[in-house]
Amino acid sequence: MAITFEMIKQVTAQLYERSLKQIPDDTRQALVQASSRETNETGRRTLQIMIESADAARSQQSLVCSDSGVPVYFMQIGTQAQFDGNVKQAIEEGFAELVATINPPLLPHVTNPLTLERGYQGKGMPITTFDLVDGADYIDITCSPKALGSGRWAALEIFSFPDLPTIENFVMETVVKAGSQPCPPVVIGVGIGGSFDYAAKMAKEATLRQIGTINPEPILVDMEARLLERINKTGFGPMGTGGDSTSMAVHINYCAGHGFTPVAVCFNCWINRRTRARCYNDGRIQMLE
Amino acid sequence: MSITTHRMTFPLSASDARTLRAGDQVIIDGEIIITAGLPTHARFLDCLDGKEPFPMDLHGASLFHLGSYSRETAGQFEILYINPTTSTRFNPHMPRLIRELQLHATGGKGGLDDASAKAMQEAGCVYLSFLGGGCTLLSQAIEEVLEVGWTDMLTHYRVVRLRVKGLGPVTVGIDAHGNNLYTRIHEAAQKQLMSGV
Repeated sequence: MAITFEMIKQVTAQLYERSLKQIPDDTRQALVQASSRETNETGRRTLQIMIESADAARSQQSLVCSDSGVPVYFMQIGTQAQFDGNVKQAIEEGFAELVATINPPLLPHVTNPLTLERGYQGKGMPITTFDLVDGADYIDITCSPKALGSGRWAALEIFSFPDLPTIENFVMETVVKAGSQPCPPVVIGVGIGGSFDYAAKMAKEATLRQIGTINPEPILVDMEARLLERINKTGFGPMGTGGDSTSMAVHINYCAGHGFTPVAVCFNCWINRRTRARCYNDGRIQMLE
Repeated sequence: MSITTHRMTFPLSASDARTLRAGDQVIIDGEIIITAGLPTHARFLDCLDGKEPFPMDLHGASLFHLGSYSRETAGQFEILYINPTTSTRFNPHMPRLIRELQLHATGGKGGLDDASAKAMQEAGCVYLSFLGGGCTLLSQAIEEVLEVGWTDMLTHYRVVRLRVKGLGPVTVGIDAHGNNLYTRIHEAAQKQLMSGV
């Protein structure tokens, strides 16, 4: 028994489509909670329309946002997982088939950064990263399409032996620079430490954590709470026209490094696109979210 | 503070625009023109410079930064959906477009800078904030596709004139009196950051 080419092709396409047409349950709940807390009337109304918009897209199987982004996948591969067929090719073909069949059709967002030409295909697309899970006989595939509105504002800076306030101030500077533009309330991911490339990956993965789950590192539990409070005091609010719901969650990952410490910050807009499935060697496919 | 919701006919007149205050909400009926293209805005400036004609009459228009998926079947365009894009990308283009085309309403999401707000004050123009991620709800308001210009461009870059009914509510992010919610909030947040709160 093995995970087949067809399974990966179908699951990756299905995850992408679902991520465009429904927001995660935890995100809807966070928006509902924000609307009950929001003190700015315009902000409160905006949050309510967000919930209506997400519900309408889900029930009508339409798009929540027209910027369907570019396909981004994270694959966690169990060391006991068996493959029958090419994995990268399956993801590529799955996306091509989705583009050809999805209703409503997608806008061409895949952009060649050298020529600015746009289409549905490009070098390195879909963007996929692979990690290993020791002992598992399955693979987990997470889909988190990235669009311009929130993708534009991510930042990374490298510090030398920074203290916690220095790290937190960099997060705040990045948030204030993004301001009204990334479709708040946003989910903010932060990666601290490791290396240049790994900090960015940790930040992105941090945005994929479920809202409401507790960070296993006590120092980061406090940092997340401090930052969330500061960010929601900035005043940007829903869609940036004012209010105290600028962020639904701040999630931070860290890893040991040298004394030079990269700090990466990235954003997911209020839609917080994220779907996940598990494929087992015996052919079972489980939709996790 | 209580906010006011206005239902107004578009294209918005300068006098209607001037009755709106930053933070108010508006429901849109009537005609709007939309595009989400950066190349489209560069091309608009070329039109102002007389290098080519505008694809349709934009004078006094309500011009929004909304992208659309348009499809031509049997010589007729249908718009499958619309949705806003980030307006700050058009900061360099908007002051000239607002002044020289006498726009009375513009909008999208994320706001415009104070150079645009100044032009808006002169022209009697408001900036309206649409819901990012409002694709399904916003698209339901389309009544008729009146015109699609520059069909040589990518679908979301095209210039589309639509008749809509009940589009919104949208929020007045910048009013015609120089009140720019975006820069005001940004400055306050910046000040807070500097003071280390």
